[in-house]
Amino acid sequence: MRDERTLRVLDTGLRRAAENLALNRSLLECHQEGHSPHTLRFLRFEPSALVGFHQNVDQELLTEVCRAEGIDIQRRITGGGAIYFDPTQIGWELYVDKRFVGSSDMEKIAGRICRAAARGISRLGVDARFRPRNDIEVDGRKISGTGGAFDGDSIMYQGTLLIDFDVERMLRVLRIPAEKLSDKAIASARDRVANLRELLGELPPLETIQQSLAEAFAETFNVDLAPADSMDGVEQSRFEQALREMDSDEWIYQRNRPAVDSPLLEAVHRAPGGLMRAGVSLDRERGRIGQVWITGDFFTNPRRMLVDLEAALRGIAVVDLERTLHDFFDDYPVEMLMLTRDDFIRVLRLALDSDDAAPANGDNPTHAVG
Amino acid sequence: MECNGCEFKPELYYDAEYQIWLRLEEDDTLTVGMTDLSQAIAGHILHVRVRRPGTRRPPGKPVATIESGKWAGPIPNFMDCTIVEANEAVMDQPDLLNKDPYGAWIARVEVEGGGAQALQDYLTGDAAYEGYCDRARRDDIHCHRD
Repeated sequence: MRDERTLRVLDTGLRRAAENLALNRSLLECHQEGHSPHTLRFLRFEPSALVGFHQNVDQELLTEVCRAEGIDIQRRITGGGAIYFDPTQIGWELYVDKRFVGSSDMEKIAGRICRAAARGISRLGVDARFRPRNDIEVDGRKISGTGGAFDGDSIMYQGTLLIDFDVERMLRVLRIPAEKLSDKAIASARDRVANLRELLGELPPLETIQQSLAEAFAETFNVDLAPADSMDGVEQSRFEQALREMDSDEWIYQRNRPAVDSPLLEAVHRAPGGLMRAGVSLDRERGRIGQVWITGDFFTNPRRMLVDLEAALRGIAVVDLERTLHDFFDDYPVEMLMLTRDDFIRVLRLALDSDDAAPANGDNPTHAVG
Repeated sequence: MECNGCEFKPELYYDAEYQIWLRLEEDDTLTVGMTDLSQAIAGHILHVRVRRPGTRRPPGKPVATIESGKWAGPIPNFMDCTIVEANEAVMDQPDLLNKDPYGAWIARVEVEGGGAQALQDYLTGDAAYEGYCDRARRDDIHCHRD
């Protein structure tokens, strides 16, 4: 029987992506089978580009850049989008069940865990807050992204924590519009993320960061912490089995689709309030928007409205674009200078309409100007 | 029939936690889907991936996986079975599982020992309805259509 009021704390150190992700699977399976205790794991990655469980590598990553720079490519068991992970980030993961978190609702579970993590990060001297649905931010800048996997009643919920992050390198390995790689766009991406070194002026010791997170989880979920040196024999053997399967092209490139099925569409719209640029990654086969990026020299208050809008549009059907955008602005208090919601619709429509359905080269974004 | 707004079909068969439903077809295969309770817990479903037809799946190895929000996980499988057919409509439009959980089936499977035999391990009718409502109340699950 599992001790419901104890949270084991494991630190599995700096590892290759394949090992870290095989540990995800093995520890979740062992928890689901009732073998493993509730566990908080801290982890770090050698430079790695990780796609979400249902994503296609060639549609999300610049694989040549990854190979040339020695960046591992791997597939997570959690959902969400592609991320870049390297030793300038710490990973944290909880292996618990729905009863531990106190809800069956996946959105509530994510919220409760993220709020606990935000409290842990705040103990270091910053004001970290949960940003629905899955991020933790400091003053509107993302410091931790999260995602989860479930198996029956067991869940594994994981997050990153940026401690000293290289935004430019991240942008170089992910397949995003070329426009995002301009100096201005990189500066804008830097504005949207925060890291501990920058916020605090110096980097706290790793142990302090981990202790702050662990104590916040223990307090939130009313459990005692039980530090452990290593996994047990069953977990170790399950890990080796998972590693054999996941450290392979069959796992990483499963059901891969070529980049051409997922074009990156871009458009420019000269609105009265300023120049707007939009990038849209389109899942052509399913008629869905993967992700959107909106930049420009227009004015909005709060500025974070843009990232919230981008989050609201992620994964929606193309036919739902206008409705989703209207729903968003109906509920979102925002000040805009000589700019209306129609300008956002216009620039995104221009980008989507620029899809010619059969581009000669999927690596080159299609452009439209309006 | 419903509990907390979650629809229930007495003619279908269910696992003990009411995560999946099963329907026996004339050729002794079973159709598998997600219950209204499961779709409500999962939230808006963005991806569904079904194993290729012909793939054999032992108990514990899922026939399909889903993703909602940033959560990914299996549709649980308790049988030794082989995938016969995947519902292409659901793979193209995953949120059909939210909109019509009993119409939007996920896969059809051939079970070792036969479908009718396998159903003996599952709940149906009034007994299933009682358990279904218990689960909805115990975990405070409420269903609504998008």
